[in-house]
Amino acid sequence: MSESDGKKPDGNAQPPPPGSPTIHPAAKTGPSPSNPPPSPTASGPRAGIEHQPPAAKPPTPPPTPGGKPAPKHPGFVTVTVDGKELVAKPSENMVDAVKKVGADIPYYCYHQRLSIAANCRMCLVEVSNSAKLVPACQTPMAEGMVIQTKNPRVQESQRAVLEFLLLNHPVDCSICDQAGECKLQDYYQLHDYRSSRLEGEKVMRTKRKVLGPLVVLDQERCIQCTRCVRFMAEVAKEPQLGMFGRGSAEYIDTFPGKQLDSNYSGNTVDICPVGALLNRDFRFRARSWFLSAAPSVCTGCSRGCNTFVDFMGQDTYRYRPRDNEQINKSWMCDQGRLSYKYVNQQRLAAVLIGRGEDRREATAAEALKSVAEQFKALAGTEGLAVLASPVASNEDLLATLSFARDALGLRSVYVAGRHEGPGDHYLMTPDKNPNRKGLEWIARGLELTLKPFSELGQAINAGKVKALYAVGGEVPVDPTLVAHGFGRLEYLVLQSSNESAITAQAHVLLPSAVHVEDEGSFTNLDGVTQRFRRAYPGRAEVRSHWAWAVALAQEFGFPWTQTSARDVFREWAPRIPELATFDWDGAAPPLKVTRGLNPLATGADGRPPGYREFGPPRVRGI
Amino acid sequence: MSLRALTLVKEKYPDAFVEQYTDRTGGAWGVLKPDSLRQVLAHLKDDPQLDFKLFLSMDAVDRLQLTDSVPRFEVVYFLYSVTHHEHLRLKIRAGEEAPEIPSATSIFQGANWWERFVWDFYGIRFTGHPDLRRILMYEEFKGHPLRKDYPLRERQPLIPERPIRDIFRGPGTSGTA
Amino acid sequence: MAHADEREIEERPPEEDSELEAHLQTRRMMINLGPSHPAMHGTVRMRVELEGETIVRADPEIGFLHRGFQKSCENVTWNQCLPYTDRLNYVSAIMNNLGFLKAVEKLVGLEIPERAQYIRVAASELHRMHDHLTCVGAIGLELGGFSAFLYAIEGRELIMDRVSELTGARLTTTFGRVGGLNRDLPDGWIDRVNRTLDKIHELLGEVDGLLTANRIFVDRMRGTGVITTQDALDFGFTGPCLRANGINYDVRKAHPYWVYDRMNFDIPVGQNGDNYDRYLMRMEELKQSEAIVRQALKEAPPGPIIVDDWRVALPPKAEVYGTIEGVISHFKLVMEGVPVPPGEVYDCTEAANGELGWYLVSDGSGRPYKVHVRSPGFAILSGVPRMIEGRMLADLIPTFDTINMIGGEVEQ
Repeated sequence: MSESDGKKPDGNAQPPPPGSPTIHPAAKTGPSPSNPPPSPTASGPRAGIEHQPPAAKPPTPPPTPGGKPAPKHPGFVTVTVDGKELVAKPSENMVDAVKKVGADIPYYCYHQRLSIAANCRMCLVEVSNSAKLVPACQTPMAEGMVIQTKNPRVQESQRAVLEFLLLNHPVDCSICDQAGECKLQDYYQLHDYRSSRLEGEKVMRTKRKVLGPLVVLDQERCIQCTRCVRFMAEVAKEPQLGMFGRGSAEYIDTFPGKQLDSNYSGNTVDICPVGALLNRDFRFRARSWFLSAAPSVCTGCSRGCNTFVDFMGQDTYRYRPRDNEQINKSWMCDQGRLSYKYVNQQRLAAVLIGRGEDRREATAAEALKSVAEQFKALAGTEGLAVLASPVASNEDLLATLSFARDALGLRSVYVAGRHEGPGDHYLMTPDKNPNRKGLEWIARGLELTLKPFSELGQAINAGKVKALYAVGGEVPVDPTLVAHGFGRLEYLVLQSSNESAITAQAHVLLPSAVHVEDEGSFTNLDGVTQRFRRAYPGRAEVRSHWAWAVALAQEFGFPWTQTSARDVFREWAPRIPELATFDWDGAAPPLKVTRGLNPLATGADGRPPGYREFGPPRVRGI
Repeated sequence: MSLRALTLVKEKYPDAFVEQYTDRTGGAWGVLKPDSLRQVLAHLKDDPQLDFKLFLSMDAVDRLQLTDSVPRFEVVYFLYSVTHHEHLRLKIRAGEEAPEIPSATSIFQGANWWERFVWDFYGIRFTGHPDLRRILMYEEFKGHPLRKDYPLRERQPLIPERPIRDIFRGPGTSGTA
Repeated sequence: MAHADEREIEERPPEEDSELEAHLQTRRMMINLGPSHPAMHGTVRMRVELEGETIVRADPEIGFLHRGFQKSCENVTWNQCLPYTDRLNYVSAIMNNLGFLKAVEKLVGLEIPERAQYIRVAASELHRMHDHLTCVGAIGLELGGFSAFLYAIEGRELIMDRVSELTGARLTTTFGRVGGLNRDLPDGWIDRVNRTLDKIHELLGEVDGLLTANRIFVDRMRGTGVITTQDALDFGFTGPCLRANGINYDVRKAHPYWVYDRMNFDIPVGQNGDNYDRYLMRMEELKQSEAIVRQALKEAPPGPIIVDDWRVALPPKAEVYGTIEGVISHFKLVMEGVPVPPGEVYDCTEAANGELGWYLVSDGSGRPYKVHVRSPGFAILSGVPRMIEGRMLADLIPTFDTINMIGGEVEQ
């Protein structure tokens, strides 16, 4: 199998394998598809034509009598990277800085937000002030330094590091979740594309050791970069992981008798460059290259951490954190990470009319007509109330509360929402509703007062409220109690996304969309409004809250014509002083095209390809 | 390869080219300004030193997803000289809004169908084309399929059947649809 | 032009007026040689406007076989484009496959092993013979000579047997990978091919004897479907159709690729640019291809058939299942595709019908950004109205035959 069969290692340094850069610098048998450094015109037909000639020899700084030469750009440091000049701040790390001129230094243990460990040795580059190769992540840039990231010596070092890392790496790609997002795989194809020279067995360690409720460890795949250890110690401030053992017998583990049960354990899975730490919830459920990613905002609490929603078809598989310097940096809490489940489970898909035995499916038009009839009779009276949920997006609330005020003539709405939970020291807030601030702002802007849920309960018990228009099915107390209370209502119109005890009590049940199924914005507890994008359209009769509100208003005779969340925002946001200045289009996160297999684009109507209406579709619970 | 030809043309028409470059594989390209297309093509065809009489093909590239994406379309032309055994590659860049390029049909008859192909699939009009209609798609097709923003599995609306005369559909029918 | 009934009736001198030439009240007849027609190879619709037997206007309508080749290729990896290229000129699929691979390898900057080059030449020429045999047989068939067709198809079947032993499929071969070939020659294949070529030689003799000097055949083919050299170049004719006009342009000789510069073969060149010459081109090329195949298979050196670079070629299965490096490389190549550096290329090979050109644009990922195929048939079909306008309807049939328009390649 390996080329050096028959040659037992004898302790002396072996020559590099044939075809490696130090022997054949310009291998005729291969391209350099390690894609020429992404310069501004790097892709497309024009690529490769602006060849920068490599510097023949490093420019020597002019000698000044005693002391260092004056910096070329005062306040900054000027270095030469692969023949190109780079001006960077002295505090910037070399690995990040060289990306500006299109150089790409590979790394495993370096992370922008963690301390420097420099133990993976993958980022070794050649610099002019050292005879040995130096780790780029640890070397501060000096004025006039010449950095080479691509010469044969550096390439051989990268190849050698990869060879060593892969020497004991288990042959797990077929069963490892990280495949498709694995740095070993990516760097192998770019920097070391040779066969193995290992003779004998690989070192075996504990596989699939459960570290905590969310994380499972495979010690064989670990490359001992210590990113997880540093993260838990520095960012989560709960040092629950440690490196044990010495030398080549090192391994990552939790302390004896302890678990990795921090609320931030999921981030170690994200930052682990290989498949050593894996998410138990996501394990074996999907291959990453089949997943599409939509930039979104977490709805687990009111912090509003930025996320990527990884979905396939019309199911959400996981949340991953998205970089946001202000709010969540690159992290998410576990509770938020797992809060995607309600998007898939027990979703309502059909419009239903009637309670109990009279319940039947109906068309949206029929349901809306009956709702409009009932509400027109009660509009303006005290018998009609509106229950708004702070889980709905700003656009949903704008349309709904405007409908409540204009069509139903109300002056106050009740507030539902998820009940409070524990908070923690970093990201998780006790308020588990993503848009409470937005609801407060919108109500204030539209001159509606907000009343707490308990008052609604009293009003129903006292018989004052007879009909209720509930936008969102999340309630802050036990749903069975609420259902019991709602049973006393004469007419309940419920727009909910998930089935629960309350939905059985609705006279008219309208299925609503969740945040991944429509665009919009949330305002977090600090008053930061953030945009999220749509991942996939909802199934069957699912519509956003604003769409139902607009349709109802049309039944009432209002000439509302909004057909998208954007229209809704443009129409009503100017009345809300805090939202009037929000740049709805500009704040939208850029759509990210994933590498590798890109999923099929949706059709012109936004539906997934080949979408058919075959009656009420299966709503798979995941 | 055919930088020789491009240099000769540049001497004659110095303003016709936006740039000339050699791509990574060694092929020589000339990027033309749209207005000078006809001049340059006629010169290429008639000048005995150039003699690019064989019109191989032409096509367009939608650069929407490349890093260098403005202007959006590039129309590429391939010519060949059988006497000098040289290939020639030309391209014209056209923007997104109502892209229009002069037609080469008056110089090369073969450009007729290729320009119809580019119109059909990219929506680039060719001014002066005798009969610019869709060639591979049916006339009622909506959209231009090879554009990058045309989804892979777009669905088209059903169209009513065309009335075709002189087809006998059976006794009692009038012969039309 | 005005209809006959609206036109002024010319005055004729009385002595020429005979009963046989009495003026008929005629009208132009629009005939629809519909897409489903035995003589319209590969679903082309010709709307011919006839004046008596003379074709006044011919308007081909294509698009019935358009399957979205370019769009499909943009959504799969480079190696996964190969089955799509099969279905372009489906009668000589190997030539499409290998032509595409040649362009991709040029864009990557790869040089393939010598054995692979020899086998590519042999397989291409074998499928060129396949294409020409079909064409020649079809010419005979559509002019009424069924026996010639049967002999040619027998020859074609023999080739298909050999090709299916080599590639696994009779028609849509998907032969070759970026960097070389996927399969080596089976055992004993070379002998079988040599015997097949002997048999085909005999069959060609039969077809030749039946057609080439046949009075009816010559009468129908000579002088029909004529196109001037100027027009041919204008429309973009290449291959046998252009060489029938006397222009000696063959990519194999003008810009030799693979090992064609070591092969001994000639390029037949015609004179008249009519159907008969185009037929003769194909007959001669069959003989030349036979010689090339024999020579290439004899001279093919032993060695690897694909580059030894795991960034491009799949690692051997033992490594894939046994080492992490192999499985990583396998994963990346299959899921993400061969990473072709960003750039563009125009490259061409000599396919059976002419110059098959490929214009590829890569954006650096493992999938093509743009795959333009310059199909020779497209250009030639656009010249067909020129060739038959003013001729008789009966000349349309041999013209369509000799240009060997394959629907798949015209309509992508």
